[in-house]
Amino acid sequence: MKSMKLFRKSEPGADGAAGDSPTRRSWMERISLGALLASVAGIGTAMVRSLVPNVLYEPSQRFKAGLPDQFPEGATFIEDQRVFIFREQKTFYAISAVCQHLGCTVKLVSLNQPKTVTVDGRPMEEHREFHCPCHGSKYYGNGINYAGPAPRPLTWYRLAVSPDDGQLIVDLSEPVHRDFRLSV
Amino acid sequence: MTTKKSIWEKVLWTWKPATEREAGDSVVRNILLHWFPAKVSRDSLSYSYSFWLGTVSMVLFLLLTLTGMILMFLYVPSVERAYQSIKDLEYVVSFGSFLRAVHRIAAHLMVAVVFLHMVRVFVTAAYRNGTAAGQNRPLNWIVGVVLLLATFLLSFTGYLLPWDQLAYWAITVGTNIASAAPLIGDKIRFLLLGGNQIEQNTLIRFYVLHCFFLPALVLFLFSWHMWRVRKDGGLASVDRLSLKQKSEKTAPVKAKTYSLLGLARGRSVQVETALVDYDRHTVPSSPNLTRRLLVVTVVTLLIVSILAVLVPTPLEAPANPKVTPNPAKAPWYFLWLQELVTDTTIHIGSVTINGALVGGILIPGLLVLAALSWPYFDRTPLNVVGVWFARARTRQNLVFLAVVVLILVLTIVGTFLRGPYWKFYWFWEAWPPVPKNF
Repeated sequence: MKSMKLFRKSEPGADGAAGDSPTRRSWMERISLGALLASVAGIGTAMVRSLVPNVLYEPSQRFKAGLPDQFPEGATFIEDQRVFIFREQKTFYAISAVCQHLGCTVKLVSLNQPKTVTVDGRPMEEHREFHCPCHGSKYYGNGINYAGPAPRPLTWYRLAVSPDDGQLIVDLSEPVHRDFRLSV
Repeated sequence: MTTKKSIWEKVLWTWKPATEREAGDSVVRNILLHWFPAKVSRDSLSYSYSFWLGTVSMVLFLLLTLTGMILMFLYVPSVERAYQSIKDLEYVVSFGSFLRAVHRIAAHLMVAVVFLHMVRVFVTAAYRNGTAAGQNRPLNWIVGVVLLLATFLLSFTGYLLPWDQLAYWAITVGTNIASAAPLIGDKIRFLLLGGNQIEQNTLIRFYVLHCFFLPALVLFLFSWHMWRVRKDGGLASVDRLSLKQKSEKTAPVKAKTYSLLGLARGRSVQVETALVDYDRHTVPSSPNLTRRLLVVTVVTLLIVSILAVLVPTPLEAPANPKVTPNPAKAPWYFLWLQELVTDTTIHIGSVTINGALVGGILIPGLLVLAALSWPYFDRTPLNVVGVWFARARTRQNLVFLAVVVLILVLTIVGTFLRGPYWKFYWFWEAWPPVPKNF
């Protein structure tokens, strides 16, 4: 709005033209202002885009966690990747330790007495739960949220056996349903 | 008239002006004082009207800039060395722990003082235009709200830098709140962190924001804030004074309404500020204002220094992505937000809205929006401007103070009443022991 006024400032007769019709001077004003805006937009885009990394030096989302035999019965916490791996004799599954509320690392709490809860319409006896230290979210042993601010269950990840050396492969980029079990 | 001046007086200004001319000159001719008017009303110098809270925040900002510049020489913004350099600062560098404590205490105080300044401006209706021409106080209120937000961002970016547990988990929670924003949330988080994880990219980003961008923003907004105060004819208490004066049976104030030789529209600043009887109500800024400025500065520095010695500066364990402290708490001025994101996850049937969106984005966003637009809805009569708790504004003040009290209560709950797993414990209840391992 204001800039439009700027363009109309050239007075009639000042440089030979009449009224609001564009003069050489107002044309130059317009084209230089346009050029300035274009260059600001250009350098601005370049600056912002340069801050979006093209290469990340972060650990891979897919990693080997060790030989299945090395895992004890129950839970194992892989610290670097923030994931729990559970072993029940011959079956394995992985649950993320990242709270769905705001990303803190949940803690696995062993219950003193087994608790019977209803999950998916079926009663289930559980011996451990996940509790989040940041804002008090609580999850059942299978990762379903039941208290606190967490909006979703904990993520389950796909497990596989590496064809070359038989190690467990955890794939943090591939969430799976909580019925998933890997039998070894 | 021209007495011999010492070099000191030439560089700075005289504390004992012999004439009013000399008093005015010291303001007009000195860059440090040039933003003050030559004469200032007694009412706006009152300690009990404004508590000089704006000045205190400015002093704190300058102190933070000074100590911050020294800390920049001693701190290395790298994930391998950041924690160690803070440790060196604490235990090896001469006066290092004092400098760090001063910087930290001044930052905490600045958050508190800027907030109190806002409360004072609200309850005195100082965001309202008074009687002078060319006022735009609502705009200055908006600048002030942005300054408050910039102050929050400065402290938020500052406490990542030690790269300890507090830092790491505060940034985890903070940037996850950002990612709860609809549609663009994840992109914002990626841009803030410079990746998917909190790593070197994140540290250098927050460092540059903390040391350059945000202070530059505050400096710019602060200049604008001061310039607007001048344009608006000084503090709101001057408008109150001018209204009172109009009801008195005295000779009217001289009205000078000439234009600036036709070069600019409107009246000159001096004319706009001539709301009150100069002879009765105003005094030369030098030394009346400068003396109080000195007092306020010295008292602020004194309080900061004492607190810096008495209050220990914490440094938690080095940042460890594997272990979330239990409980994990933000600094006190963000605990009301942490309490909000905990309590505001909403379940409607099968739909769940994350508390991060409600308590972390929607509620604070609405509060800021309400603050920004409030001056434009305030329709109370003019005689409330510059008056503490004016009758006509009782309802507004109650609403505003209720929000302030709510924020304070949530802060207290978050600070003192939350234990492991963010469970509620009264002051007298002991926290249960928490196992260290998962």
